Amino acid sequence: MKYDVCIVGSGAGASGVAYVLANAGKKVMMLERGEFYHEKEFSKDEVAYCKRDIVTPNLKESYHTIEDLDNGKWVKTPTYVNESSFFNGNIVGGSSNFMSGYFHRLKPVDFKLKSTYGEIKGANIADWAIGYDELEPYYEKVERLVGVSGEVTPYEWHEPRSTKEFPYPPLDEHPISKLIDKSCKKLNIIAYKTPRAILSKSKEGRDSCYYSNYCGSYGCSSGAKGSARASLLQPALKTGNLTIITNAFVKKLAEKNAKVTEAIYVDTKTKQEHTIQASIFVVAGQAVESCRLLLNSKSKNFPNGLANNSNQVGKNLLFSAGGVGTGQFDADNMPIEELMVEGLFVNRSICDWYEIEDDNKKIKGGIIDFLFEHANPISKASKERWQDGKLVWGEELQDRLLKKFNTKQLNFEVFNDWLPTDNCFVSVDEKYKDIYGVPVANIRIGSHPHDIKVGKILARKAEKVMIEMGAKDVIWGISSYPPPNLQAGGCRFGDDPKTSVLNENCQAHEVSNLFITDGSFMPTGGSVTYTWTIYANSFRVGDIILELP
Amino acid sequence: MKKRITRRVFIASTILAGTALALLPQGAKTPIFIEPFKVIGIVQDTLFPKGLKAPSASEFGATAYLANVSTHSSFWADDLKFLAYGAELLMEYENGFLTMNVEDRDKVLRDFTNNSEKGESWVSLVLFYTIEALLGDPIYDGNRDKIGWKWLGHNEGKPQPQKPFGELM
Repeated sequence: MKYDVCIVGSGAGASGVAYVLANAGKKVMMLERGEFYHEKEFSKDEVAYCKRDIVTPNLKESYHTIEDLDNGKWVKTPTYVNESSFFNGNIVGGSSNFMSGYFHRLKPVDFKLKSTYGEIKGANIADWAIGYDELEPYYEKVERLVGVSGEVTPYEWHEPRSTKEFPYPPLDEHPISKLIDKSCKKLNIIAYKTPRAILSKSKEGRDSCYYSNYCGSYGCSSGAKGSARASLLQPALKTGNLTIITNAFVKKLAEKNAKVTEAIYVDTKTKQEHTIQASIFVVAGQAVESCRLLLNSKSKNFPNGLANNSNQVGKNLLFSAGGVGTGQFDADNMPIEELMVEGLFVNRSICDWYEIEDDNKKIKGGIIDFLFEHANPISKASKERWQDGKLVWGEELQDRLLKKFNTKQLNFEVFNDWLPTDNCFVSVDEKYKDIYGVPVANIRIGSHPHDIKVGKILARKAEKVMIEMGAKDVIWGISSYPPPNLQAGGCRFGDDPKTSVLNENCQAHEVSNLFITDGSFMPTGGSVTYTWTIYANSFRVGDIILELP
Repeated sequence: MKKRITRRVFIASTILAGTALALLPQGAKTPIFIEPFKVIGIVQDTLFPKGLKAPSASEFGATAYLANVSTHSSFWADDLKFLAYGAELLMEYENGFLTMNVEDRDKVLRDFTNNSEKGESWVSLVLFYTIEALLGDPIYDGNRDKIGWKWLGHNEGKPQPQKPFGELM
């Protein structure tokens, strides 16, 4: 059978296209590397979901090489050496199953970073091929279909909206949010309610949030979290037009006459190879793996990989720059019974410094989110076995654990642009292959020093809020190490085939029936998590494919 | 059904690590083989002894937990090897360790970590899995009767797993 569309991957970038096309009557085949987990199969098992490779490939089967600077030389280290996986949720719905759902739109200025703030030496900044206005209707669609809860308040940094309110009211808040508000007011800072891709009231087939206290890193047992699976794929399956094959690792896209003819995949259970034919192919396997698939899909017409005759595939990979700060709260800050309430959300963000001044020049800043340390008891306790670089055990460790579990840790997370540079890219190397004999992705993780500078400016602002709140032991760190779960870029879109892989429709310049709809298309990432934008763009491309002749 | 570790599996996992310990104490003519998990179990009780209110490693099932999870494919094979190797190193460092009283064992472990980088890494790893056993879900044979959660006043996330390691229904 030849399908209308074959989609590689099943996360946020894949699901929007699948939803649109399946509902329009197109026959859609989706190939997902992992299993299909349903709500009833998720649990709050920290050992399984946070401490082992259960929902990502075993690193002995597949891995990445991380290319980092070591004494002035770029050195590749396979991720199995230090157990640092760059895979993120390889099950139906992808990593959206395990997100915390802090949802931010990009702001209009993020679509024209270069023309607004100018070039930065050593960075390959480019304006987007579309503007905010073109994406706004799709941001709104995500609010309705994926489900975003929040509150619109008058604020200069809120993005322009086509609707007055969020379709779902804000989630219930922890008492500490009032302390954040009070402290920010005193400092003349505006803290607003963070929009979340979590349902505050039920929606067809999905229950509202039950405040489990275990959200990020865990699958949602009520369907409240706006995972691609719960919000879009399960409804799309009901149309009868979407088929999902699980345990299907796509190793190559075959090409003829500059068109993809079939996807070749391995059934990871049986190790047998199969093919899927379709008129249109959509790749959305998360930025790194999407680039890897194209680079490994070599043919006579494309000796450097599919759609890569300009050698742009894999280039200008993005992560999210920034870091984390922490502060401790106890009975000195508020009544202990209020402080220790579990499950309720902090839900406060600050973007007063989305644009900042540096050397009398306006530069792009970023955003700060506040949240509690995850409930995970093993992770919390494990850190306590070290003090000042020395191992602690026995009664001393037991005392430290008792103290830790009677304290609440508030975190702030800083997000700012990860500037695209020549030293952050995906490549493949015949020397490193997975168990299927396919070269793994090498990720060079160089970053621009500007990212650290901006991150530190923001962290110092957030630190002031923590101190005003009365937090103890406030510490923070801004790192140039990439967060593996926040990937974008690598197949940027643009008008010029020499400097971009995709056109403004996320269609490959060189291969007319190939579209890429995960975060790979983004030339710059904005200063927020990418998921809302990836969902929105996926809906947009779904509409574009529908209109194809 | 809850997965239980059997003696057979327990021994198999030590063999998998490939390092059943051959010790030759002074005066002995034949090597004595000691399973690494026996050494690890005694170390765990030294690292996490019975406290005023705190449960001991044996009470919360630290070794049974480790024996269980280390047989699963998701367990890091290098960790398993290193756990066994470290047990061997410790016995080489102090071959009377197993018969010492708690205070002397504690002193040996402190010397062992201070004098050897590998020793410190090994004790850190044993402690890491001891903490997993204290606060992981009881489905893995540690945290017996939720004793670790109760001690620290921690409320478990719901739902708890019905099957280990995220196995599908």
